Amino acid sequence: MARIMTKRTAPRRRVWREATVRAGMVVPALVLYVGLLVVPVGYAVYYSFTDYNGFPNQVPEFIGWDNYKRVFQSSDITDSMVVTGTVALAGAVLVNLAALGLALLLQQTNRFNTFGRVVMFYPHVLSALVVGFLWQAMLGPQGVVNTMMDKVGHSSLPFLSNPTWALWSMIFVIAWSLFGVQLVLYLAGLQTIPADLIEAARIDGAGRWQTFRAVTWPALAPTVTVAIITSGISLLKTYDVVVSLTGGGPAGSTQTLAYSILAVSFPGRKIGLASAEAVVLIIAAAVLAFTVLALRRRAEEGAESIG
Amino acid sequence: MSVLRWGRGHIALAAGTVSLLALAGCGNGGSSGGGNADGEVGGEVRMLVNLTDNLDQSYWEDLVAPFEEATGVDVKIEGPTGASVAETFPQQLAAGNAPDVIQSIFPDDDTMPQLLDLSDLPWVEGTPMVDDYAIDGARYVVGIGSQTQSLVFYNKTAFEEAGITETPTTWDEFTEDLGRLKDAGYTPMQTAGQFETGLQLQQLFHPTLNTSHPQWQSAVADEELSAGEAYLPMFQHYADWLDAGYIAQDDVGLDPSSADGNFIGGQVGVYPQGSWFVATLEDAGELPFEVGVFSPPVDAGQDYPGPQGATMADPYMINAATGNMASAQALVEYLVTDETAIETQLSADGVFRQDSGVQQTPIGEQVQQILDEAPELVAVGEGFGDTRLPVTGFNPKFTEIVQGLYTGQSPQQAADALDDWISENR
Repeated sequence: MARIMTKRTAPRRRVWREATVRAGMVVPALVLYVGLLVVPVGYAVYYSFTDYNGFPNQVPEFIGWDNYKRVFQSSDITDSMVVTGTVALAGAVLVNLAALGLALLLQQTNRFNTFGRVVMFYPHVLSALVVGFLWQAMLGPQGVVNTMMDKVGHSSLPFLSNPTWALWSMIFVIAWSLFGVQLVLYLAGLQTIPADLIEAARIDGAGRWQTFRAVTWPALAPTVTVAIITSGISLLKTYDVVVSLTGGGPAGSTQTLAYSILAVSFPGRKIGLASAEAVVLIIAAAVLAFTVLALRRRAEEGAESIG
Repeated sequence: MSVLRWGRGHIALAAGTVSLLALAGCGNGGSSGGGNADGEVGGEVRMLVNLTDNLDQSYWEDLVAPFEEATGVDVKIEGPTGASVAETFPQQLAAGNAPDVIQSIFPDDDTMPQLLDLSDLPWVEGTPMVDDYAIDGARYVVGIGSQTQSLVFYNKTAFEEAGITETPTTWDEFTEDLGRLKDAGYTPMQTAGQFETGLQLQQLFHPTLNTSHPQWQSAVADEELSAGEAYLPMFQHYADWLDAGYIAQDDVGLDPSSADGNFIGGQVGVYPQGSWFVATLEDAGELPFEVGVFSPPVDAGQDYPGPQGATMADPYMINAATGNMASAQALVEYLVTDETAIETQLSADGVFRQDSGVQQTPIGEQVQQILDEAPELVAVGEGFGDTRLPVTGFNPKFTEIVQGLYTGQSPQQAADALDDWISENR
């Protein structure tokens, strides 16, 4: 009888031990995730419904949807949303086109391409603040570019002193600083494409463009999805380059939503409003990610139905 | 209750930070260990200061070294963890690790409950501008002098070459002189981008504005005056000067240090700046031209010179919740009353003080004279003490609006934008 009991309890003990080991591995990560992400985001959502200056002596006062109404009624904030949308959309296109183009050029492994990959990744190593100051010195009214144009008899260009020019200059600088990571993603994606597929396409008489369209591009689809989502989210958060390149100017024309949150609402001690803006930004990032994923799924389903 | 409050503030900071998808670094001041609970001077005092090129860590450490030697107090100098002291102090308050002494910012409605009322301390009496900064009669901040805001530095050689024999006292004369400077081949007036665009317009307009509308910030707060209407004449001057090419439209993209460099290089006629520019001129060494300075013009019919915009220099406040009150008070008393400490601070950052024995440069003496001749010192920007606008964040917004003049907005549009913003944020 005792032997039967021992035989029955042994597997149960093993199950418990395995469960404990698994929990021991998962719980620390779960605690960190909940403590550092879920709880703060939860509090941000809570504060977004309150009037609160962030100081210990003030009790947050519940004000319903007022902060969200203000987010969508304030021309300053809606303007910053338009700027953020433009930066995210145009920047994502620019970053991914540049990264994909260069990845196609640098995909063969040789000394020159290895050097080229290092050079292309270099801007991403620099702090975004440094990137902004660097390009300020290049594009400012008395910067390197305008001084050189002056020397050769051309009139200077208003890279940072005209609202439209300043916005596109900023998008270019952000794209320059970001595309290194996307380049690495595309290089990794290109290396996963079986060489015999490319070879088969060529044997069938496909040209470079046809090979790219029919073989490389479909095989890269998962990489493209990741690259667009990660670059889009990075661009939605644009703050540092704004601070050091344009300071949000001229006349607020380069103020992004993240800049508005960190440089306007938080210093103005409008914690509730800043939290509402942050929640809107989180939702925008989520919408972007889910939209890209849904488009990719639809494209895959379409391809499968044709196949 | 205090534990709950601490927790809420702490979580607020974390929530704000993480929910921004780690957009900003987390404020992280040290804790004020070694507080002297028995009320005697000793232990450690944390002081949050503004760090700049000339007011660096070693400057602050040297400044407090004699105090540390005399009292045995360990003064821990801390720079901002965010972009500025103004941004860092509220974060640290919310996180429950605020420093004992705070330098460079002023009290307002939000911070006031967190600060020590210094009114009953005898050594506070007679310190510069202390009563100007009092709120409802209570003194929360003390300083060592004044930073004069409304100054126009000019190139005397350029003035001579342009045939200008006297500095202008009215806006008509000023505009005429800008034309002459342009004809003589100089950049008539140097302005700059970033924070400086709005600051320079305010600096030029303080005397006129405060003559036309004394304590205009209070009048706006009481809804007796529209800020846009008050600033409209100066917006019009700027628009006219931009049209005439007296101000370069490109200046709006120019960083302020390049603007300093342009004036120092000798190609600029006039350069509106504050008294801190005296220190920049001194650092620049010998210039190829002579520099002069005058108080900005006023409208025809107004008394010249007009009121001078000024701010308290090296302001110090004490955290009411400090664990080492005796030492924090002793440190601030030392900083604002000790002669050597005052002279060190006056020399470091273009700060002026009436009856100061500090040896001034020739240009510094001119600034001191302007300060002495000013009929009164007036609040600038958002204001100070009881003379304050009903909004926070005025200066950055004002700069954005003034930059609009450079990018094609009309003076009336700028005035309307200012009024709209104030009514939205009141």
